[in-house]
Amino acid sequence: MIQSLSGPVDTRPWWQKLVQNYTLRTFVQSLFTVWAVITFVFFLIRLMPGNPVEIYVNYLMNTENLTYQDAYNRAASQFKFDPDASVVQQYFVYLGQLLRGDMGESITSTGTKVSSQILRYLPWTVFCVGSALLISFLLGMLLGMLAAYFRNTWVDNVISFLASIVSAVPDYIWAILILIIFGVQLKWFNVGDMRGTYDPATPPGFNLPFILSALQHAILPITTYVLGSIGRWVLAMRGSTTSTLGEDYVNIARARGLKQNRIMTAYVGRNAALPLFTLLAISIGFVLGGSVIVEEAFVYKGLGSFLFWSISQRDYTSMQGVLLIITIAVVFSNMLADLLYSRLDPRVRVTGDK
Amino acid sequence: MSDAIIEFKQIYKSFKKGRTSIPVLQDINLAVKKLEYLCLVGESGCGKTTSGKILVGLLKPSSGQIFFEGQDVSTLRGSEYTRYRRAVQIIHQDPYASLNPTHTIYDILSFPLFRHKLVKNRAQARERAGQLLETVGLTPVRDVIDKYPHQLSGGQRQRVSIARALTTNPKVIVADESVSMVDVSIRISILNMMMNMRESLGVTMIFITHDLALAKYFAWQGRIAVMYLGRIVEIGPTPDITHFPQHPYTKSLLSAIPEPDPDRTRTKDQIRLRSEDIPRLTELPPGCSFHPRCPWFVPGLCDKQLPQLAPVADSKGPVQVACLPMTQGKPLIPYES
Amino acid sequence: MSEVVLSVQDVSIVYRVSRGQVKASQHISFDLHKGESLALIGESGSGKTTVSLSFIDMLPSAAKITGGKVLYTRDGKTENIFEFSEARMRDFRWHDCAMVFQGAQNAFNPVLKIKEQFLDTARAHGWRDKGKVIKRTLELLRLVRLDPERTLESFPHELSGGMKQRTLLALGVLLDPQVVILDEPTTALDILTQRAIIEVLKEMQSRLGFSIIFISHDLALAAEMADRVATMYAGEMVELGSTQHIFYEPLHPYSLGLLQSVPRLSQDKDELSSIKGNPPDLIDPPSGCKFHPRCPFAQELCNQEEPVFKEHEPGHFAACHFTENVIEARANLWKKD
Repeated sequence: MIQSLSGPVDTRPWWQKLVQNYTLRTFVQSLFTVWAVITFVFFLIRLMPGNPVEIYVNYLMNTENLTYQDAYNRAASQFKFDPDASVVQQYFVYLGQLLRGDMGESITSTGTKVSSQILRYLPWTVFCVGSALLISFLLGMLLGMLAAYFRNTWVDNVISFLASIVSAVPDYIWAILILIIFGVQLKWFNVGDMRGTYDPATPPGFNLPFILSALQHAILPITTYVLGSIGRWVLAMRGSTTSTLGEDYVNIARARGLKQNRIMTAYVGRNAALPLFTLLAISIGFVLGGSVIVEEAFVYKGLGSFLFWSISQRDYTSMQGVLLIITIAVVFSNMLADLLYSRLDPRVRVTGDK
Repeated sequence: MSDAIIEFKQIYKSFKKGRTSIPVLQDINLAVKKLEYLCLVGESGCGKTTSGKILVGLLKPSSGQIFFEGQDVSTLRGSEYTRYRRAVQIIHQDPYASLNPTHTIYDILSFPLFRHKLVKNRAQARERAGQLLETVGLTPVRDVIDKYPHQLSGGQRQRVSIARALTTNPKVIVADESVSMVDVSIRISILNMMMNMRESLGVTMIFITHDLALAKYFAWQGRIAVMYLGRIVEIGPTPDITHFPQHPYTKSLLSAIPEPDPDRTRTKDQIRLRSEDIPRLTELPPGCSFHPRCPWFVPGLCDKQLPQLAPVADSKGPVQVACLPMTQGKPLIPYES
Repeated sequence: MSEVVLSVQDVSIVYRVSRGQVKASQHISFDLHKGESLALIGESGSGKTTVSLSFIDMLPSAAKITGGKVLYTRDGKTENIFEFSEARMRDFRWHDCAMVFQGAQNAFNPVLKIKEQFLDTARAHGWRDKGKVIKRTLELLRLVRLDPERTLESFPHELSGGMKQRTLLALGVLLDPQVVILDEPTTALDILTQRAIIEVLKEMQSRLGFSIIFISHDLALAAEMADRVATMYAGEMVELGSTQHIFYEPLHPYSLGLLQSVPRLSQDKDELSSIKGNPPDLIDPPSGCKFHPRCPFAQELCNQEEPVFKEHEPGHFAACHFTENVIEARANLWKKD
């Protein structure tokens, strides 16, 4: 009368297993998504009014009082860009480059590889937005859990109220408020001098002055990002914890005489945090996108502010490069979220796993 | 054509889940006579609820035909189809979930009345709703009609669900575990009321339950069909099924049920199954799907051939079983492994 | 009778709600003896779960114990549970008194293996020897007829409903408690699974000798499992006696009414009747005997004076003014046998 736990035996042939492999299928789908976005972006940015040559021509005509023809000649000779080439032809050239792992050269900064431009700005955004994400995720989870434990008490009321308000205000408003309060009113930061990502007087390297300077430059944008996103984490965690607290297994854990700490961590915390990890993985993708407006507001030279600059110059190749990186990050962090969740939650662990 | 009000012919139903298809119903043949008491009995996953949903048109079978008053339902169009859908109604298990909490009882009852143009105005709707509430024993009506579901007890709520099923003047009502969530002390009154509806309103009642004792009470003058893993394994008049079960599965069920009679329930013979595992629908065993658990398993027969419903060998009774040894007249011998 | 493990004395519990106080349990008294199984029978809202939750201090925050005490005896030492410190209560839970709740489907933490959850429980009560815990766990899993090694390494979702229920029972007795409270232990399980659980429980109790309080609305289960039965109505205990007393010689009209409302498989056509009316409002309960508005024997006295819960014959208690009427009526109860 002993019960067996035998699962189904996998009898599929190898090629079917390959085709039906979950990870592989997700990966191929992601690649397809990236290609679709690249194509869309490529044509979309060429639909914007103006092109790099025209923008530069206008600039030259305004600043150096050149005639249109002179300015055009100079611009055309300076840029590796032929505004009269067919768009479809450009598209296939671009795709061919990408397949070889080459993102091309910047149109306006002739001779500079798009990839090296991106490498210059990317780390700062990753550092700034990444640490903000981590802070707001951890702090948000903590506050959300607190609110759920003390629900309907003043603790919960205060946390939930603040979280709702904070999450209702977009980050560019926070940027402006922070500039006004800490920069202009309190004068805690000399925002006028704090251009860029570190003080040019401190040479980059692994030394204290440089790290401090980098932190000093990043602290205001980080605060902005944290304020802009923490409310969401608090509210999500509060909801998730509240529903987990109502689960039978939590009640039974109490009836089993488990210690409060153990219940809070392994029984409530772990289960309540599960859906948030998916959100976190998805958010990682948006890290690279940074926030164009926040970086602009603090003159923080990250990927977002570079994107802003390349758009204003109609630097097609740079724009494509940045948007490609952002797309890849978003798509693959979604994929990561999918796979991560099936790792964390045994219930959705894909069969054929054991 | 038979005198059946509703008839299943070779009904199959499977659900797709990912790349596997789950066979929920297989080869169901069933004719429900007008005003007959019929009970579908079985454990969870046996397909009884799916059968009920197919019967009232909430689900389409994967293959097979349903006849309503002799007409193939799949050929009905327009007003004919509407007439069929109105004529068959279902009462669900959970009166808490099936009544909209933001509507009053009047709203709940008047909505289908207006939609099916059974009443012309508010006054008529109120009058009809009142009649329906009286039919289901919710009197005085004025105490109930303007209340919200949460202001009623579980039993009262279930009566409202029944009243709602009656709004379209149905000919067939499928009651899916309709009293299992109602307190024991008032179950019987609801059951009695449903049985009375057969007399007073001419409704054929099909009762779906896992509780054989309730099935016995409800369908004493009718039939019970016992289902196991998507098939009917035994069908016959209720007294035959409850007192002289034939199919090994029915026998084990009846022996397993505790009874509210201490002396009897403690001395009852227990049939010990060979396994407590219920096979998954996706991995049904070959032959008779009960054979891995059956104490009277005949190797080489039960695991090879699919049993069909047939009378027990040498019996003239109306009971039909899907058990090869029984229909072939072989004695049941305990299987020693 | 053997020694008393748990002595419940005049326990009253109310729930504070916006409309006032719900008198969920009023003046409950009973003794639980070593090794016996006592069934608390009653419908939803009868207070049977509330009173059990108070033993392990798991009442919802809106509840308040307004009186009484519960004396617990282990190894000759008697203490009042209601005066336990928080730490003492934490240790008391599961180690002395394990409560297995209704709905084992969700009783286990979905992200931890069964093994971890057994170890967690043992660790919380100071059982540090991991090897010994695993050894006992394996024994218990075998006792509940599961494949011990595989179950131990499973995640909860890999077990079927019946397997989870049995695993929970094994977990319940892991620390060798004196009292095991089972809240609707077989509700929502299939009949054959339910039978398996009943068998397992009987065997576990005879091997390990714990006392059981089980809470159920299922009279048949009580008939099968209980040594003594207590009937609860509207937050009060209305009758308490041996299983034979309650089922064959009930003294309270409510017990009689329940027995008259459950169908029995082994009988031919039952003569069943529901108890009229609905359960009372516990915020504003009826005066006198709370059952009088639904009672077929009620007289003026019942409206005015609350009957005393007293011993009518050795070990058989009831709270009714007119037990002689019940004695007369109960003669018909089993006549059809």
